[in-house]
Amino acid sequence: MPPPPLPEFSNSVKLKYVKLGYQYLVNHFLIFLLIPVIAVVALEVVRQGPEELLRLWRSLQLDLVQILCSAFLIVFVSTVYFMKKPRSIYLVDYALYKPPVTCRVPFATFMEHSRLNMSETKSVDFQMRILERSGLGEETCLPPANHYIPPRISMEASREEAELVMFSAVDTLMKKTKTKPKDFDILIVNCSMFSPTPSLSAMIINKYKMRSNIRSYNLSGMGCSAGLISIDLARDLLQTHPNSLALVISLEVITPSYYQGNQRAMLLPNCLFRMGGAAILLSNRRRDQWRAKYNLVHVVRTHKGADDKAFRCVYEEEDQEGHKGVSLSKDLMAIAGEALKSNITTIGPLVLPASEQLLFLFTLIGRKLINPKWKPYIPDFKQAFEHFCIHAGGRAVIDELQKNLQLSAEHVEASRMTLHRFGNTSSSSLWYELNYIEAKGRMKKGSRVWQIAFGSGFKCNSAVWKCNRTVSGPGSDSPWSDCIHRYPVHIPDVLKL
Amino acid sequence: MDLITLSLVVLVAMFLLSFVINRRRDQGCYVLNYECYKPSDDRKVSTQFCGDIIFRNPVLGMNEYRFALKAIVGSGIGEETYGPRSVLGGGEDYTPLAEARSELADALFNTLDRLFAKAGVSPSEIDILVVNISMFSSSPSPSAWVVNRYKMREDIKVFNLSGMGCSATLISMSLVQNLFKIHKNSLAVVLSTESIGPNWYVGNEKSMMLPNVLFRCGGAAVLLTNNPSLKHKAKFKVKLLLRTHLGSNPEAFQCVEQKEDQMGRRGIQLNKTLPKAATLAFIDNLKLLAPKILPLRELLRYSLTTFIHSKTRGDGSKSKPKPKPSVNFKTGVDHFCLHAGGTAVINGVGKSLGLSNYDVEPALMTLHRFGNTSSSSVWYVLGYMEAKKRLKKGDKVLMFTFGSGFKCNSCFLEVVRDLGDGNVWKECIETYPRDTLINPFTEKYKWVFEDKAPPANN
Repeated sequence: MPPPPLPEFSNSVKLKYVKLGYQYLVNHFLIFLLIPVIAVVALEVVRQGPEELLRLWRSLQLDLVQILCSAFLIVFVSTVYFMKKPRSIYLVDYALYKPPVTCRVPFATFMEHSRLNMSETKSVDFQMRILERSGLGEETCLPPANHYIPPRISMEASREEAELVMFSAVDTLMKKTKTKPKDFDILIVNCSMFSPTPSLSAMIINKYKMRSNIRSYNLSGMGCSAGLISIDLARDLLQTHPNSLALVISLEVITPSYYQGNQRAMLLPNCLFRMGGAAILLSNRRRDQWRAKYNLVHVVRTHKGADDKAFRCVYEEEDQEGHKGVSLSKDLMAIAGEALKSNITTIGPLVLPASEQLLFLFTLIGRKLINPKWKPYIPDFKQAFEHFCIHAGGRAVIDELQKNLQLSAEHVEASRMTLHRFGNTSSSSLWYELNYIEAKGRMKKGSRVWQIAFGSGFKCNSAVWKCNRTVSGPGSDSPWSDCIHRYPVHIPDVLKL
Repeated sequence: MDLITLSLVVLVAMFLLSFVINRRRDQGCYVLNYECYKPSDDRKVSTQFCGDIIFRNPVLGMNEYRFALKAIVGSGIGEETYGPRSVLGGGEDYTPLAEARSELADALFNTLDRLFAKAGVSPSEIDILVVNISMFSSSPSPSAWVVNRYKMREDIKVFNLSGMGCSATLISMSLVQNLFKIHKNSLAVVLSTESIGPNWYVGNEKSMMLPNVLFRCGGAAVLLTNNPSLKHKAKFKVKLLLRTHLGSNPEAFQCVEQKEDQMGRRGIQLNKTLPKAATLAFIDNLKLLAPKILPLRELLRYSLTTFIHSKTRGDGSKSKPKPKPSVNFKTGVDHFCLHAGGTAVINGVGKSLGLSNYDVEPALMTLHRFGNTSSSSVWYVLGYMEAKKRLKKGDKVLMFTFGSGFKCNSCFLEVVRDLGDGNVWKECIETYPRDTLINPFTEKYKWVFEDKAPPANN
């Protein structure tokens, strides 16, 4: 019998070290260049001796005018540099809404309500099949109005849900950060499916008696990626207003969006969307640098609305019976992948280390000039980020992104566990995921986080944060505090109900 | 001077010069052009038709008829305002989502097409898009519809504001103005319209019936830029935008509220506290605005007269108390662009600012011709002034809007060049100004005012 061939792994190990060496060389190129120069200069200085150096210094005759001009130039250039530098934006802290136990919707409750509320058994069976494969757990929550049979949907109930979620999160945030309502200069609220008059932002100003010159904005209809749109807006506003605090509230009001018809494409959101909300405090004040949790590094927004298929893939409409619901098209995953690619094209050069960018450039040139059959190089984003927060839109979204970005199970654990424990809380899900990573004690100072969200339109938005101080574990107010020890859980592909 | 000194001095001079030039380079916010929405003529709503709509509502009783008719007759709204197709077609009970969308899409796309054509700008050049529609919220948002229809760029910054009331247009402009400070050489579009059809109130609560009487279909698209090379093409320069939010006052917060009545019918309730809240918000805004826009001599005059007034007040004499001195806004402002909310609002604001009939004419005529088109109404008012050729280079325009929450926002504009475009008023400007309180309804429905029973043939 011929001896077994050289095991594959030793080849791959050699390649791994080559790759590591290449990355180290390219990323620290400047240092490698400077070290010999510094060494030579140091040697020269030591050789000359101190008296020589002193003589050299004295021979440089600079009169008063020259000294003044040089000093002025140095001061001037450094002032202009500091003034032109964009202000650092800090995330001081954030607070999440923890729904009460009474709002829990275990599978049994959900299925019972479906059977009693829905007219066709086919729809009930379909919902059961979705739920089995959804990746949701038994502790996700729906608002009180949806616990009635039939659900008591009214404007009053929607307002109550909004108040419950927003006020709870904002109260916790103000307590944690020791801020007073009059301290806020900017207020941005985003809620996609419910927009009353007066707006939710006006409700916050009314409840907390905020200042009359507060700059408030109420975004609506922008989908699950609206949280990052609000962060982008807050960042731009903080750049123009020095010494300010911005309060960003991301939530989704589930009450009015319960679909009571039988169209399959519109039944999905019923199974996935759950109650949740987040309040985030951003600052550009220098004194907050010490207590801030994260620095905002980049926000990149991509809008694929120009493409008709992308525009229609998440569409609110009425079915033939007049029931309103959000219909999700079958092309959703493909469109999400395309949108992500566009977003990566912009964010890649901003965050990837030089080694990855060069590789990407070489493969691009190679594909264009040498051989189009070369596989396109997918940059290794694990080089640029320690943690990933992928919007917990649904199991399929997380699977698709894990595949596209070549992430390990641990990288997407935060997303999967958030989907399991809280469901799809729309724009606030990214914050529940971030909180999971912190609760697990994995967030160390200097860690870089990438938040990716998708939304109707079709949009793909990313935010890049850098951790400013190590977070030791879940705070007492964290919604994960009572259950983090049980996670991660294994989520089977199909959970038989 | 030797070479080193000379070169150092030259370098310093160059830096200083470049710094000064950079600061002076105008990154101000300019209104390049604006366009108002004119629905098709088959959507005109006469007061007769309004009466018919009210009469065909089975839940309304005699009291409610009287109330609504009185409101219509005294509203100052004319015979040519535009209503939503769903209501005109008899479907005011329920407007399907598709119908609501098409009502808004017509307003947005129609106006934007004309704006792009007029300004000679291509949609792919737009960097920032802000859409504000107060009473409509859906996924994808109207801002996404615009991106889809005009195939705008992927990196466009889009914002969809909602629920912010009739003052949302100035809030959108404030957003753009802030973004312009970060993003140089950009083009922005602000779209303001309102969704009337789905929000038609079909119940019998009197406090919720007024919006049906006052609100009409309208919209506006505004093109803004901070590119200094386009300065010469601009119409206005935005000098100041001031926002005042009275949400912390509970009465002010609840004076305009969207809710469901006891029968579950949705509508907008206007409370009796509205005028008071409006006054408070207005005063708050004026207090901050006056020092920033009025010339120094007016401010000095005001401080002096107030000082004298406070000193002479404690005389104890039996003479009639002198009226409190007031600021004369006409010293710093040439034209007043008031939100056409209703005759009461316009006349109230006019009185507090000491405005003449000439000053409030644009707002009253807009109310007559187009009704209260919510956030876009100030652009119709501005259009009236432009069509009447009142706007000359260097003139100062002050816009005021009020909105739910309660907000009062103001915008101070400077006219960049002589303007005379007829725009949406082109066909009818010659017939204005008119006496807007003469209403063909008055004669026919005299019995309403005289509290008599309706005549038999009604």
